[in-house]
Amino acid sequence: MRLLTHNMLSSNIKGVTNGFPLRIEVEKVVEKSVDFNPDFLKNMLAKIEYKALVEASRIMGYAELPDHAEPSMLESDDFLRKFHHALMELHLEEGTLVCPQTGRKFPVNKGVPNMLLHEDEV
Amino acid sequence: MVLGIASASRFYFKRGFGHSSVIRSSFCSLRSSSDMKEVSSDKGSSGSALAGGDSPALPPVKVGASLRSPSSVVQSTPEIEKKYVHRVYDAIAPHFSSTRFAKWPKVSAFLNSLAAGSLVLDAGCGNGKYLGLNPNCYFIGCDISAPLIKICADRGHEVLVADAVNLPYRTGYGDAAISIAVLHHLSTERRRRKAVDELIRVVKKGGFVLITVWAREQEDGALLNKWTPLTQKYLEEWVGPGSPRVRSPSSPLTLESIPEAEENGSREQLKEFTDKYTDLRSLQLRHLHMNSQAADLSLASLTKKGCEDQQEFFVPWHLPYHRAEVSGASANAVASGLAKKDDKKGAVVYNRYYHVFSEGELEKLVSGIGNAVVVDRFFDKSNWCIILEKIS
Repeated sequence: MRLLTHNMLSSNIKGVTNGFPLRIEVEKVVEKSVDFNPDFLKNMLAKIEYKALVEASRIMGYAELPDHAEPSMLESDDFLRKFHHALMELHLEEGTLVCPQTGRKFPVNKGVPNMLLHEDEV
Repeated sequence: MVLGIASASRFYFKRGFGHSSVIRSSFCSLRSSSDMKEVSSDKGSSGSALAGGDSPALPPVKVGASLRSPSSVVQSTPEIEKKYVHRVYDAIAPHFSSTRFAKWPKVSAFLNSLAAGSLVLDAGCGNGKYLGLNPNCYFIGCDISAPLIKICADRGHEVLVADAVNLPYRTGYGDAAISIAVLHHLSTERRRRKAVDELIRVVKKGGFVLITVWAREQEDGALLNKWTPLTQKYLEEWVGPGSPRVRSPSSPLTLESIPEAEENGSREQLKEFTDKYTDLRSLQLRHLHMNSQAADLSLASLTKKGCEDQQEFFVPWHLPYHRAEVSGASANAVASGLAKKDDKKGAVVYNRYYHVFSEGELEKLVSGIGNAVVVDRFFDKSNWCIILEKIS
């Protein structure tokens, strides 16, 4: 699971109003190269919740992202590459995603989160 | 490690697919329903008003412990789907995936029309056939079948295990969402409608949703004869009176091809079944004429209404023995009666549940959604298709 995906996920348990971001518990992180695409990154920066990305990347062991992002930083190649690395190249291979409101744990195995709910959670 | 600036359009790693083109199916006799005990009904205990387009009110069917909230009635998985969709796909996943490689031009066109950098959500992605189809977009796929998702993950796709009726995505971030041959596996109108609501929810304002479903109006009638219509016994157990099956104007069954159905089967067995089915159909038709005043929606009249209105089917899948042994789930399936062995064909035969859509039904399903409009609708390769745009 990439952090771009993590940034799109939310706990969908019944009654949860504050399901984002899911808290990450890391067991194994893997880095996988991805082609650098600045246009794509600019589009995504507008879309994502940056603070959640920064927090998540730190938990995954990458501390290079600045705390805040200004639009002007999109002109900086240095920033874009760090952004690219955090967003696209860090994979949570094994671990857990935790609902911030209920504490419910969603497992991540072999890079795949399982977000299925039990009968009593729908 | 960054690979250097490039205007490379492919920006994520994807391995090629290996394919075999074994396509199989054949007729399989109707399963005994004695093992179907617990069912859920979307007109169960809630008694709440339903979205537009439902059939007239009838006494709700009480099934099981019936004090669940309306949301859980819609979002809990009914038994028929657990048995005849989820378990089947889990058991047949690799074989199924090996037959799913041809990209449907209409879906490709939709995906390729999206702006570069779009975030695309594929709900019910199966073996991931469409993930990454447009290399300029970022795809996230989800499916309820973990074995199918594993196939996607092994190919390098970004995927998760999730339920199309309750997507784990934030609201309004997708640029587009697709639902390709998924909704016909949902057994109630409310669940189908909830799945549509979810597709619209997860895209942004101005985002697009493409939905395709199997049509009742199939291009190849010979294939249709291989499907088993659900009998009255099934209807009683899992649908009940007042089933919200949409009544469409009766349209003659036209003969066109089924894109994702498989075929083969011994000629003799096919003929035997065709003869039997033809007899059954003519019997039903005669009955229909005799009961032309079937205005009430009692169960008896639902079945007597005849095969033109039939939309609930089991469609067989033949899993070759060598595949079944690898999967392991098939031994259990046969033991529990979920599947049958066919020694002549050397395959384990599973049934997949389908609610095929009649003409106009998909549009009716999306009508009444206040924040989305239909921007295209078409019939293609025996599928009804619709494209929606979220407007607010």
